[in-house]
Amino acid sequence: MQEAENCQLPADNQTLVTFRALVEAIVPHTPELAGFGELQTLGAADLGVHYYLAWELDHTLALFFGIHLTNFPLAASTARLLNVGAVQFAAASQLIQPINCSHWVISPFSALAPLDRIRVLAMLEQLRVDLGTLPPPYQNNGGNVKFIIDYLNRATLFGTYSEWSAYGSTRLCTPTERVLQSFPIGWEQSGYPGVSLGYRALRGFLLTIVRDKGVSTIV
Amino acid sequence: MYDADVIVIGSGGGGAVAAKELGEKGLKVLVLEAGPFYGNKQWQNPNSERGGEWSSSYHDLDIGLYKKTYNLYENNMNDVVSGAIRFGPADRRRDPWHRKMPQQGDIWQASGVGGTTQHYWAQSPRAFPSAVDHIWPISYRELIPYYEKVEATLPVQFSPITPKEELFYYGAKKAGWTLNPTLNVVTPGYRPNPNAILPPNKHLMDPNYSMEQLNHMEGCTLQGHCVNGCTSGPSVDRIAKRGTLVSYIPLALKTGNVSIRPNSFTINILTEQDPKEGLRACGVQFRDTWTGEVGELKAKTIVMAAGCIESPRLWLNAGLPYNAWVGRGLTNHYFDWVGGVFDEKDLLSILGTTSVFPYAGHTSGARVDIPGIGIFQVSCLSPGLMSFLTYGFSEAGYNALRPPEPGEPWNMRGRVVGPELKELMKHYSQTMTMLLLTDDEVRYSNRVEVDPLLKDENGPIPVIHYSPSAKTLQRRDKLARYACETLQHAGAKKIIRSDLPTGFLLHIESTMRMGHVVDSNCEAYQVKRLYIADNSVHFNGIGGPNPTLTTQALATRTADKLAHKYFGHSIETDK
Ligand SMILES: Cc1cc2nc3c(=O)[nH]c(=O)nc-3n(C[C@H](O)[C@H](O)[C@H](O)COP(=O)(O)OP(=O)(O)OC[C@H]3O[C@@H](n4cnc5c(N)ncnc54)[C@H](O)[C@@H]3O)c2cc1C
Ligand code: SF4
Repeated sequence: MQEAENCQLPADNQTLVTFRALVEAIVPHTPELAGFGELQTLGAADLGVHYYLAWELDHTLALFFGIHLTNFPLAASTARLLNVGAVQFAAASQLIQPINCSHWVISPFSALAPLDRIRVLAMLEQLRVDLGTLPPPYQNNGGNVKFIIDYLNRATLFGTYSEWSAYGSTRLCTPTERVLQSFPIGWEQSGYPGVSLGYRALRGFLLTIVRDKGVSTIV
Repeated sequence: MYDADVIVIGSGGGGAVAAKELGEKGLKVLVLEAGPFYGNKQWQNPNSERGGEWSSSYHDLDIGLYKKTYNLYENNMNDVVSGAIRFGPADRRRDPWHRKMPQQGDIWQASGVGGTTQHYWAQSPRAFPSAVDHIWPISYRELIPYYEKVEATLPVQFSPITPKEELFYYGAKKAGWTLNPTLNVVTPGYRPNPNAILPPNKHLMDPNYSMEQLNHMEGCTLQGHCVNGCTSGPSVDRIAKRGTLVSYIPLALKTGNVSIRPNSFTINILTEQDPKEGLRACGVQFRDTWTGEVGELKAKTIVMAAGCIESPRLWLNAGLPYNAWVGRGLTNHYFDWVGGVFDEKDLLSILGTTSVFPYAGHTSGARVDIPGIGIFQVSCLSPGLMSFLTYGFSEAGYNALRPPEPGEPWNMRGRVVGPELKELMKHYSQTMTMLLLTDDEVRYSNRVEVDPLLKDENGPIPVIHYSPSAKTLQRRDKLARYACETLQHAGAKKIIRSDLPTGFLLHIESTMRMGHVVDSNCEAYQVKRLYIADNSVHFNGIGGPNPTLTTQALATRTADKLAHKYFGHSIETDK
């Protein structure tokens, strides 16, 4: 049995920088939307969704190792997958935009321009990569690579547009200890009014089922 | 020597129905459920403390506790890793139970009393008769009285109209579909969804009643949280959305013959050799998910209803006799998802409002049925879920890197990223989305097996493989065209086809098929007194309709057959 979580994230800096670059490429900061209110400029990185990815990946896999149920954190190896992908992408001269050299040492993936990061994801997903060079559990396991690339996309969106970021200082706690601290920004950006007890939205009925002695008729 | 007449393994879509039906016949039933029991006094803090062991009384149900857990927040409720509704132990500090699926996708099942019906959308259509007759070992006719019984019990009613259904009908009519006022679908057409949702509260449109008041009364308040579990209702058993936690489970407890033990993962099926019957089931071993202790219970009969993945896993891990079809033939309605973004002025002229109100009303309230191909149904969700399904979850890669050919009925296909995505999500309220369910052909190679090396605390873990046949692909593509044309006719300015991954598994069926693993009464051919009552006994994907009602009709029938064969009861439809 695992210990109760405290609210700290174990992920290392390289992992967080890599995931930050990932979520920023998927849901970017968009100054051009300032005309619709400052809030519309915020992107997934502003909301800390890279922390969400790291938390989720570190809490998703438990298997028996020897005789004990053991948690296998996946955040660091998944970030490494993206970085290995970025290196191979650059080495194959596929870059379309220049890289940011100062970032390269920390995280090659984050040194790429946003659209090139997306191209790295596509390359990995299509398994146009030397599978032997990837870290476990992705090494020579194309199925796991496909699964995780897809997961990273959908989890970034779910993290951004659900209420997760509004758990604020409690967002990395165990879920039962999270407390909502503000109205979720992703909900505001999408015009969702928030959870509701109901809507007076009834516009009538097209058909009704009427039951009599075990037989249904439609009126 | 026996602890009960029947042990039911799993309390989801099918297991809860079997338990209630058997309990009503006077049989003593024990239900073992792997996940938590929400809304029950025996478990005051179901996600952080072990709480009690058994619940045997209707009076244990507690609406206050229910509403405390089902708080409607989409991340809290649905997160597949740590949500209140996930496939994992009740203790949310722990990781979920892992399934290996080496391909794009996601397995969306839930543990807990009510199983995956906790976040199902309650669509309860019957099978397409053409997918059953002369194909299944039993006829559609034989199912009808059981459909009727389940539909009356849940109960099932056609969905009301809210703005999104109105927009859907508007598009469907313009696209040439005609109204199909039936429960037995033999021709194409549109209709409201037959949903297991109580009719709207009669006072909903009366401003003299506050929403707070309405929420504590009986009837749907169109709160649009069906996927999160619903909170409209005065008591657990009168909650509007009729997942089995609030429908069949309370009825089962009311019989006084049913006891439910959550937090109990069945890890083994005990068998014995009987001189007359041959190999037969006589008990189970289960593991308490809080303490790790293993318990044993004996019964005269066993009903396995652990769902399409865990039922074959349990068969294999229990070392039951080899059968080439165990875990094989998985169907999944190979889903797709499309969305249309509308101009406010167009919406104003069609609906009289500038919004589709994707968050109001049943999650899904209307459909076009096309026997031989499948179904497309309007389905709208809160933004976190909607964004990932519409723009972030695909087998087709990135739209920006591979835009669709001109002339297709969609402008975008695959994932959308960057500023374009943010622009689209800004128009969430003007977006109508649809779920597509394909008439999925059975393939032997689509399967659940167990990993030869990897184990969790409950034994070797399941591995899932799914890839559609050429025919399934063709049908799905047709369906996507029909759905997008309906959006075009409704006036959508931008149309996106997500092209969901093959491995997006919600409507899993037919992994323990009738006629192969179980006989036409759903008793295992090779193990007497072992019945199956979940989606896995379906012979195929029933043509595309949402599967649960058919499972529930079969579970009702199976209870009848079991009580007849082993307890001498008469068959209900013979009465
Ligand atoms: C988001 C979503 C929406 C859906 N919407 C619809 C819809 O509108 N209409 C529809 O028809 N279908 C819908 N479905 C599918 C529907 O939920 C399933 O068809 C239905 O729940 C299947 O019932 P089942 O009994 O086969 O399995 P489940 O409902 O999954 O129940 C299996 C139960 O067994 C338990 N269990 C598993 N293994 C063990 C074990 N070893 N020991 C003890 N217990 C165990 C599980 O914890 C679970 O509670 C939806 C699914 C999802 C995810
Ligand atoms: S629309 Fe709302 S009130 Fe109605 S069933 Fe769904 S969640 Fe419940």
